[in-house]
Amino acid sequence: MKIEIDRLSHRYDVDVLRDLTLTLDGYKAVAIIGISGSGKSTLLRILSGLERPTAGAVRVNGHDVTNPDYRRSVGFVFQHHALFPHLTLLRNITLILEKTRGYNLGQAEARAMEFLDLLRLSDQAHKLPKNVSGGQAQRGSIARALSLDPEVVFLDEPTSALDPILTFEVLSAITDLRDIGKGFVLVSHVIDFVRSFADYVLYMHEGRIAEHGAPSILDDPGSSELREFMAKVPDCAFK
Amino acid sequence: MKPATGLPTERSSARRELGGSAAAYALAIATFVLFAWFVVARQRRPFDLTTIAPYWNAIRSGFGLTLWVSFVSLVASTSLGFVVYLLSKSRVRYFRAFTDVFTEIIYGTPLLVMIMIMAFVIGPAFGTTNRAVMGLAGLIVYITPYMTNIFRSAIASIGAEQYMAMDLFGFTPFQRYRYIIVPQVIRILMPPLMNNFSLIIKGSALLNVLSYRELFYEVALMTNNTFRFVEGFLLMWGLYLVITIPLSQLTKWIDRRWGL
Repeated sequence: MKIEIDRLSHRYDVDVLRDLTLTLDGYKAVAIIGISGSGKSTLLRILSGLERPTAGAVRVNGHDVTNPDYRRSVGFVFQHHALFPHLTLLRNITLILEKTRGYNLGQAEARAMEFLDLLRLSDQAHKLPKNVSGGQAQRGSIARALSLDPEVVFLDEPTSALDPILTFEVLSAITDLRDIGKGFVLVSHVIDFVRSFADYVLYMHEGRIAEHGAPSILDDPGSSELREFMAKVPDCAFK
Repeated sequence: MKPATGLPTERSSARRELGGSAAAYALAIATFVLFAWFVVARQRRPFDLTTIAPYWNAIRSGFGLTLWVSFVSLVASTSLGFVVYLLSKSRVRYFRAFTDVFTEIIYGTPLLVMIMIMAFVIGPAFGTTNRAVMGLAGLIVYITPYMTNIFRSAIASIGAEQYMAMDLFGFTPFQRYRYIIVPQVIRILMPPLMNNFSLIIKGSALLNVLSYRELFYEVALMTNNTFRFVEGFLLMWGLYLVITIPLSQLTKWIDRRWGL
């Protein structure tokens, strides 16, 4: 996966991202960490094409992220699964394949089942999101993202709405996906998970990338900001 | 959005109940039946439904008219409520202000007052003395902001993440409405819509003040002739409950079956 960020700035009412420049190449899983309001979710949304940056250029695998076609090529997993609540897990996937990717229903179902199976949800396929656990719903939304054959999967705090047991369940499922040949960019507060899953870490602080590097920076921070963050962040056991 | 639950201990810690739920309901219903029987038995004259038999046809047509005006009001106020909802979302500030002021006025008005104002004040100003029609219009206008409200909350309940998801997957605007927004809104809308229908049915009784020959009017007329108040009013009460209780049960069933 290749990410090129050139003089990226973004503002809503205040400056959220301040003049970021960074090029990453060859990493499989990039984690963005930082406190709330540090700009990490905004950066993730810009990288995924969900939001247009105020200034600067961003390319992911060579694609300009402001190109509408790029948006269709990414997978995105939201904080709260964002499954359509009136559709079964299966239909949540087939509807998109059928209506926006030109599959016929049979092909769509076969493909959807393949990914539900990958996330160990075959037996939940015909249930509505409200009738499965929060962890299963989140896994369903991961299956949905993968079924669109994205180059890169973006995960925006995928477990922040879940209790510790379900968090573990979902993060284990994500860990199992590490070698399926997709790039991952994720925001997570579960530092243990970041340590084991990511091969590159960006630490955001007040709209800037305060520190970045291999996950080992988490254990040996070079900046005072990251050191402070690591001292405060709860040590949530994963693995 | 469903909060994350599902720890295995939650179910087992539910409060232990004494007695089955069906038995408890049977007992509760029996309490009210018993109270009704007590009230009937305490009357000076013996309870005799056959005394109102000659009026049965009139009562039946009143019942039919109650259902009919309620249905018309439901359709009209739902449509009007949707229009007001659209106005409340308009870019034109005046329209938004208009709907706010309209809603405040209606919320502050008793239904009976609304009906009288429509029939005796607003109607004549527009050259109509057809009080029945204006009264019905009063009922419709009165329910409209309640309808607007349920549209507002139903549409608002589709979260921002869902819209982002629709955006990301590349649905066309038509597809968004056809497959995602409208199906959800309908399901969310049904229970409060049925509650409002119940509100309309009950409110329609007030149309009797305009000599509208609905259920209340027909029964009141009958009791004036026969002095059979107990039979007449109890029967009327029963007839209202015969519509409204199944309606509320149906609402609950729909919500369980289709709710999101």
